[in-house]
Amino acid sequence: MLEGGKISSRQAIFLMVSMVLPTAFLFMAAVIAHLAKQDGWISLLLAVLVALLIAWLVVSLSLRFPGQTIFQFVEVILGRWPGKVVAFLYIWWLIHVNAEILRQFGSFMVSAFMPETPIIVFEILVMVIAAYAVRNGLEVFTRANEILLPIILVMVFIINILLIPELNLKRLLPVYIDNGAVSIIKGAIIPSVWFGEIVVMAVLIPYLNKAKEAYRVAASATLITGSILIFSYVNSMALYGPEAADGWIFPSLNKVRMVNIANFLERLEALIMFVWVAGGMVKISIFYWAAVLGSAQWLELKDYKPLVLPVGVIILALSIMAHESILGLYTFLATSALPFWIVFQACIPLLLLIAAMLRGPRKTRH
Amino acid sequence: MKKLLSCLLLLIFMAGILSGCWSRKELSELAIVLGAGIDRTPDGQVMLTLQLAKPSTITGGWGGGARGIEPSAWVVSGTGKTVLDAQKRLATRISRSIYWAHSAILVFGEEAARYGIRRYIDFFLRSPYSRETMWIMVTNGEAKDILEAYSEMENTSAQDIANLARSRTGYSVNLKDFTIMLANQGTNPIASRIDLIDYSINSGGLTRAKSVMQKGAILTGTAVFHDETLAGFLDESETQGLLWLRGETLKGIISVSSLTEPGKEMSINIIRGATEVQPQYDGESVWFDVKIVIEGDLWEQQSGEEIMERQVRKAIEEEMAGEVEDKVRLALEKVQGEYKVDILNFGESFHRKYPKVWPKLKDSWDEVFAGSGVNITVEAHLRRSGLETKRTSEKE
Repeated sequence: MLEGGKISSRQAIFLMVSMVLPTAFLFMAAVIAHLAKQDGWISLLLAVLVALLIAWLVVSLSLRFPGQTIFQFVEVILGRWPGKVVAFLYIWWLIHVNAEILRQFGSFMVSAFMPETPIIVFEILVMVIAAYAVRNGLEVFTRANEILLPIILVMVFIINILLIPELNLKRLLPVYIDNGAVSIIKGAIIPSVWFGEIVVMAVLIPYLNKAKEAYRVAASATLITGSILIFSYVNSMALYGPEAADGWIFPSLNKVRMVNIANFLERLEALIMFVWVAGGMVKISIFYWAAVLGSAQWLELKDYKPLVLPVGVIILALSIMAHESILGLYTFLATSALPFWIVFQACIPLLLLIAAMLRGPRKTRH
Repeated sequence: MKKLLSCLLLLIFMAGILSGCWSRKELSELAIVLGAGIDRTPDGQVMLTLQLAKPSTITGGWGGGARGIEPSAWVVSGTGKTVLDAQKRLATRISRSIYWAHSAILVFGEEAARYGIRRYIDFFLRSPYSRETMWIMVTNGEAKDILEAYSEMENTSAQDIANLARSRTGYSVNLKDFTIMLANQGTNPIASRIDLIDYSINSGGLTRAKSVMQKGAILTGTAVFHDETLAGFLDESETQGLLWLRGETLKGIISVSSLTEPGKEMSINIIRGATEVQPQYDGESVWFDVKIVIEGDLWEQQSGEEIMERQVRKAIEEEMAGEVEDKVRLALEKVQGEYKVDILNFGESFHRKYPKVWPKLKDSWDEVFAGSGVNITVEAHLRRSGLETKRTSEKE
């Protein structure tokens, strides 16, 4: 086997939370606020439901082929060459998603903290660490995440708690009537896509020590992420109100800047920086690992380590070339990314599941 | 060998990172902005005034000696097409790089405020360095003069004004709340009004008493905006009424005249209160039922009523309620009658209660507001009477 690691269900939940939460915490609120205003929390609820469906879909599909990742079982379902094509598309998708994440990572650091630093400096630094993590295998960055994620969650919690004196829950009213169903559903699409990254479960499941708990892992991770994001969104709305919140790129950063307890406890941007850097690193590592593992399985290599560097270079280069500016990135995430993401997160898994069901239960093992 | 080589490479690589952040600025290279002012020059340009901390005088503390003569801040102005353009011009004169993160106040001159304020605040919201916790002020003169004002209690006038705003004796608003009010359809923004006051100070200590006239800053009420342009001002007692109507900061002192002895007064310290605004709509007209509840302690009594008696307390409570209602009516008349702008958040409460009607009214909301009726009921409670049940100095 290419990847010898085995992780427990709890570690997997942590990993899946880290995979969605960090970027969503920073970027998502603005996109939703733009569409669904004060009703964004309803959009998020809908998105959680959609994500649960996607998770169910992917896990059901994966569990039909124990011990195999998506890159391997597509060949079983579709036959060797069509399977290779789909697996290649998935590798390409993982690389692209990772490039976007990397770009978000760098953009935030440059926009908010160090405007004069070239974006590639941050990207190279985080990629070097991620490459090291991936080279050491799944278990290593899973354990790192086990330490980092609780700290991240505590920080997110602290930020939101310290803002309570500034909140005005009336800003969430009136519910529904202002925006109507169309806006709320539109607002739900982007978070669904974001939560839909849970599709990476299809790569992870073979490495769970209790594969049967995969449903529970995917569902808990989605629910945890969803509730944190809803909590944080309601907090942003109660702080800024629907009108003022929608112009910001990073509402969570603006939130932290408002913390001022007794004129003493203030300027807590470092917390956000921690969430971003630590969470971003883990998130990038997961997608990086999946892409590298996928490439190795696709090429039928004995070891994935030789691929770490080349795949990393592709991700880095793609992230730099993908967008002119942060506004381009933002537009991409809010519009053209969606159909592309939906195909990989929902359509293909669904078709694969149908095909697998038609072929009937598998008898022999690889 | 391979190990040695990789260690060496690692060390070289680390040297590049360990030297510190890319965009780092040492404290000694920063010109820390304490307060900023924005004026509009007659030819339509932006004049940015910065109050910069002079570290040597501030850390010197009381030892400086020449307080009142040697200011601990440097006030410098520059003009440009935009705020940032003006800052760029200033940068050619200021030897250190301008650092916004500690700016506590942002003062607008009357001309700039009347011209439209949105264009000026964008920089402060967009820049990653300035903070939304800055207090927004409007002066009826030039913002420059406010920043040049003198402070007896604090090191600089910017700190002085920020502390005034923080103590919430009048209406004070930070950039975040100001932006929300600007962005919100059902509200018009308001900001504190700041002015200059003359006073003489003793410079040079006790030995050579010499009186010098100085100008200090004073909070004198509220600036009322119509959307983004300044519509006018409210004075201090109108501001008090405004605060009660908005349900913010209901603390403060109210004085009522004595029940039995004319010319004497009683002062009541308001501890807390609540305002409830109920918008009403019958398909045609809009009116508001405002209920204000205040609780206070009797803290000063010039006259000799027996407050142990229930009827007397009731009468005092009625007078308190009357006093509050008077102030509220005063503010309401000015806001509805003279300025005709909704600065009371009434539009927002209407929006929340009648979300379906709101889209029809929101575009002409200020007119609807100006024509709407307001029923005010005030309920006052006298809760405590300090340490006395009657005046201790009273003869039997």
